[in-house]
Amino acid sequence: MSPATATRSGARSPRTTEAIKRARPSSSFATLREGEFKSSSREEREAEKGEEEVMATTHPDIPGEPTHTGTALLETANAAIQTFGPLNKIHQHLCAFHFYAHDMTRQVEAHHYCGHQNEEMRQCLIYDGPGADARLIGLEYIVSESLFLALPDEEKPLWHSHEYEVKGGYLFMPGTPGPIERQDLGKVCKTYGKTIHFWQVDRGDSLPLGLPQIMMALTRDGQLKEDLAQDVEKRFGVSFRKERENRAYMKGLEHGIHPLANAAGKGLETQLREVECKPAESVPRVFV
Amino acid sequence: MLDTGAGMLQSLKPVKQINQHVCTFAHYAHDPGRQIETHHFVARLNQDFLQCAVYDTDSASGRLIGVEYIVSDKIFESLPPDEQKLWHSHAYEIKSGLWVNPRIPEIVGKPELENLAKTYGKFWCTWQIDRGDKLPLGAPALMMSPQGVNLGRVRPDLVQKRDDRYNISTDALRASRLEIEEPEWINPQADYWKQHGKGFAIDINQTEMKKITPFP
Repeated sequence: MSPATATRSGARSPRTTEAIKRARPSSSFATLREGEFKSSSREEREAEKGEEEVMATTHPDIPGEPTHTGTALLETANAAIQTFGPLNKIHQHLCAFHFYAHDMTRQVEAHHYCGHQNEEMRQCLIYDGPGADARLIGLEYIVSESLFLALPDEEKPLWHSHEYEVKGGYLFMPGTPGPIERQDLGKVCKTYGKTIHFWQVDRGDSLPLGLPQIMMALTRDGQLKEDLAQDVEKRFGVSFRKERENRAYMKGLEHGIHPLANAAGKGLETQLREVECKPAESVPRVFV
Repeated sequence: MLDTGAGMLQSLKPVKQINQHVCTFAHYAHDPGRQIETHHFVARLNQDFLQCAVYDTDSASGRLIGVEYIVSDKIFESLPPDEQKLWHSHAYEIKSGLWVNPRIPEIVGKPELENLAKTYGKFWCTWQIDRGDKLPLGAPALMMSPQGVNLGRVRPDLVQKRDDRYNISTDALRASRLEIEEPEWINPQADYWKQHGKGFAIDINQTEMKKITPFP
């Protein structure tokens, strides 16, 4: 496995290796076909040790041609030269479950790739899987309890608590031994998150259509669908029940779950509104 | 050091696919007067599709301000008109020299710019740092791209600041990109504000949540 912080100098960074693999001609051009996801190219890409397959119905191929070799080589050559400051901060992979803030029955396995802005705040890119072809479906911000309490009251409902999903054993760090995982999860237990998804892969969208969606997290027993839970447990070799026991010692939020968090117990949905715009030539000319 | 122990053991594969840094500009779809410099960190999923994590700088302290998806004109034309309204074109932004790959010599980057000039993007901003937000507040905002009409041009002081930092000249890049082909046609549903005089805002409304158990 490659180290978390890849170096950017040198002829053959992990990115170069990845891109050359991906530039192989592949048969991946397909529109959504329900229940069918196994093309030979996907099998090749996922042949590596520890790589897991994803549930068939949540992984249709994205329309488009396979990447041209010339494009891939150019992009990877460039990657060796440029500065990727914020990405170098991403040091952690968390797997958890989100559901739509207007519909608890639509649940998504969410792979978070997180970096610390500071001790009290993290920012995470959310993908629909842990593999090289994973789709960027959203993002999440994670803040300490004190930062959350300082948010305006009208903002608080957009955030969700993490206490239940951490203590319940549902949020985990793939590939990380329990004792190490628990060191950090003990902190995550006391945080709040704001999650927005842009790509509704659970309804089979092969492109990121529609409006951004506010997402919520598990808050009590009985919410997480059994088949989804078992599928994730199997693919990552974890047991939520066992983790729950291991995490019984963890302390939750100092001040308990704030009543305005978790959508203040309601549902939330996003809506598009047209607004009047100045006519395109109405402002004085500037020269760029 | 925060969590280096765990970091050593995980592969972070999806993030490793990000192999391009683009610095460009955008404005809010609901308020074109508010313009920002953006740093896109781009991964390609196939020849017609790219996904970008967008930050406010390229330094380690960069704040994650949103996500942009980029598609070929072929994919864009397959979208329903109501979806197309949420997207913007890239031709002007690239030809005008605003879109740059910092530290990459122009001659190296130019072949791909011809392809990218024909693409469309959909950019959601989740942290409005230009209005001073210390944390990501409120609903996500739709963003639009610079365009060749007065309201779409980027303020010279923003461009100068960017140019000074990377020791480049947007004007010089524009001259050298004259030879990049204009797309034959840009779909009129894209850059909706330009021809329709309408912007878009996102509201978050309370509603009944469909549930399996009581919530929370």
